[in-house]
Amino acid sequence: MLAGADITLDGAGAAGIGLSGNEEDSKERFLHDIIVQGYYLNNQKLVEAYVRDAPARTKELIDWGVKYSWDGKRAVLTQGVELNRVLTDQTRKRKITFLDDVYVTDLLTERGDVVGAIGLDVNQGEVRVFKAKSVVIATGGWQNAYSFTSAPGGLTGAMHAAALRAGASLVNMEMVTFCPNVILWPPALRGDIFPYILIEMFGDLLERHGRPFLRDEYDPSIYRIATTTEWNKLIFSLACTRVVMRGDGSPRGGTYYFIKTVPLNILDEAEKLYPGWRWLRTDFSPLMEWLKAGNAVEVAPAAHYMEGGILVDEKGATTLKGLYAAGECSGGLFGANRVASAITQILVQGAIAGRSAAEYAKTRRVAEPNTRQIEQVETRLTAPFTNKGRVRAPALKRRVRKIADDYLWVLRTGKELKFAVSELEGIISKEVPQLSIETSAHAYNKEWIDTIEIESNAEVLLASARSALYRTESRGVHNRSDYPLTNNNTWLREIVSRKDKGKLVLSTRPVTITKLRPPKGRFSFEEGIMRAVKELGE
Amino acid sequence: MSTIKVRVSRFDPKVDSGPHYQTYEVPFAARMTVMDVLDYIYENIDPSIAYHSHTSCHRRVCTRCNVVVNNKPGLSCHTEVTGDITIDPLPRFEVIRDLVVRGI
Repeated sequence: MLAGADITLDGAGAAGIGLSGNEEDSKERFLHDIIVQGYYLNNQKLVEAYVRDAPARTKELIDWGVKYSWDGKRAVLTQGVELNRVLTDQTRKRKITFLDDVYVTDLLTERGDVVGAIGLDVNQGEVRVFKAKSVVIATGGWQNAYSFTSAPGGLTGAMHAAALRAGASLVNMEMVTFCPNVILWPPALRGDIFPYILIEMFGDLLERHGRPFLRDEYDPSIYRIATTTEWNKLIFSLACTRVVMRGDGSPRGGTYYFIKTVPLNILDEAEKLYPGWRWLRTDFSPLMEWLKAGNAVEVAPAAHYMEGGILVDEKGATTLKGLYAAGECSGGLFGANRVASAITQILVQGAIAGRSAAEYAKTRRVAEPNTRQIEQVETRLTAPFTNKGRVRAPALKRRVRKIADDYLWVLRTGKELKFAVSELEGIISKEVPQLSIETSAHAYNKEWIDTIEIESNAEVLLASARSALYRTESRGVHNRSDYPLTNNNTWLREIVSRKDKGKLVLSTRPVTITKLRPPKGRFSFEEGIMRAVKELGE
Repeated sequence: MSTIKVRVSRFDPKVDSGPHYQTYEVPFAARMTVMDVLDYIYENIDPSIAYHSHTSCHRRVCTRCNVVVNNKPGLSCHTEVTGDITIDPLPRFEVIRDLVVRGI
């Protein structure tokens, strides 16, 4: 929501809602492109819903007055802040109540069905209980389990962890998209994806000897795909990570983005797209001046989007009665690589899950939550105030994030993943229960917030690390240096994580196929991309 | 390593009759932001310091990290520090604790 926010739909669907669409395009083609580039791991029922409802949801937003432009192909271009404005306006008209700064940590269940939620009112410093006929989780990804991310704070995986504890399943948790070319320094621009956007137009990356490694080391066709298609995130992230791992990165662990060789009149032309080099609410003109003078900015891949999440069906229903999930917090739609809009995902899945939850609620009465369960959660949440343990939140948070940064990054190996699993298991069983809080005030107690975040970060990372270890192949954004091939003979399966008597249990299930049959065989990374490009017919 | 003096308005309405300043010494790094300074204090000196960060966007969009730095309002994620500073909460808002106010 912080960046440009494109909404994607098929060209014919666009024509159907009054945009100058490409009639030769179709829902079938859009679905095909999403699944081929998702490496066939997509739940095809979810993709069908996505392409089916995208035009109607887009039309609705346009009718509500969203300011946009249309790229003539498949994208309605707008901005996160603009979407926010329009949607907030609509929720006001419907008199929907919002509770800011309430950090929900757990779901309340009655005989396995979800009947409410419980969490911390951060500003008041009090535990709050909510009764509900049905609950929809729409909390985004868990990017903040990593120290370097392009996402805003607050995306911690707290509700993924809550869903797990309540008995729901997660799926594809090993799949993490990294956005390449994100600014490492200066701190005021850290996490900004502006160079990722610029590199589509001009500029290139260098390793520490000033060599343009993408041109030097990759096939020209791969280079072209990297700079002109939605595969850019994947290819750039892998190439940059390889450079840093072999010791040719920048001092802060990235690579260098530079524009020195770009003629000034080309830059002037590009500036028309971003007048005054302002984009969203940030003034990039000092950065652009600095780059024009011949300097390079240090950039690196950042945790960006989570393909995996809470397991849902095409109605947005989880495996628990009364619990629904929509948007990035749910898993399965984009398989092993997202190439279509996550904003469209929010719009389509949000409407579906909302409708399902409302229909279910009609059949239910508000249940009295189980007081013993409430007491248990309260005891767990407040324990750090009375604990005598010496584990402190800031230090443990750093350690958990370092595990994610070091072992659950772009390129994984079995040996490192095993180590990550044992570290995370130790942290969850031995250190989290020892967390203690120095600050006695309950109102906006950052240590308290951090203790809650650490627990959910660690639980979600454990599911991710276990899944990444389980998947003995490379597929899409999941790359194992010890298993570099994509194996369609044995691994067209989703990995499902759930908890059984407090222990994380993993299993697999075949990919849900309704429309498009995956090809058999085993492919290298480059072969996979070249094959897919051929299949897409470019 | 050079350091800067950081004067932070501290106030817990449940306990204190009014705000008071507490001064911390923080190692200076080129181009560091007010948010970096507050994070340093929280992580290394005084974990009781309250400033909004758990859902801050760090991109100048959400404005929830708004504070007053040397008498000028600014977003702590984007305001760079060049020397000693005084940090106050936004005026005319109810203080929840220290730099955290209700309603932004």
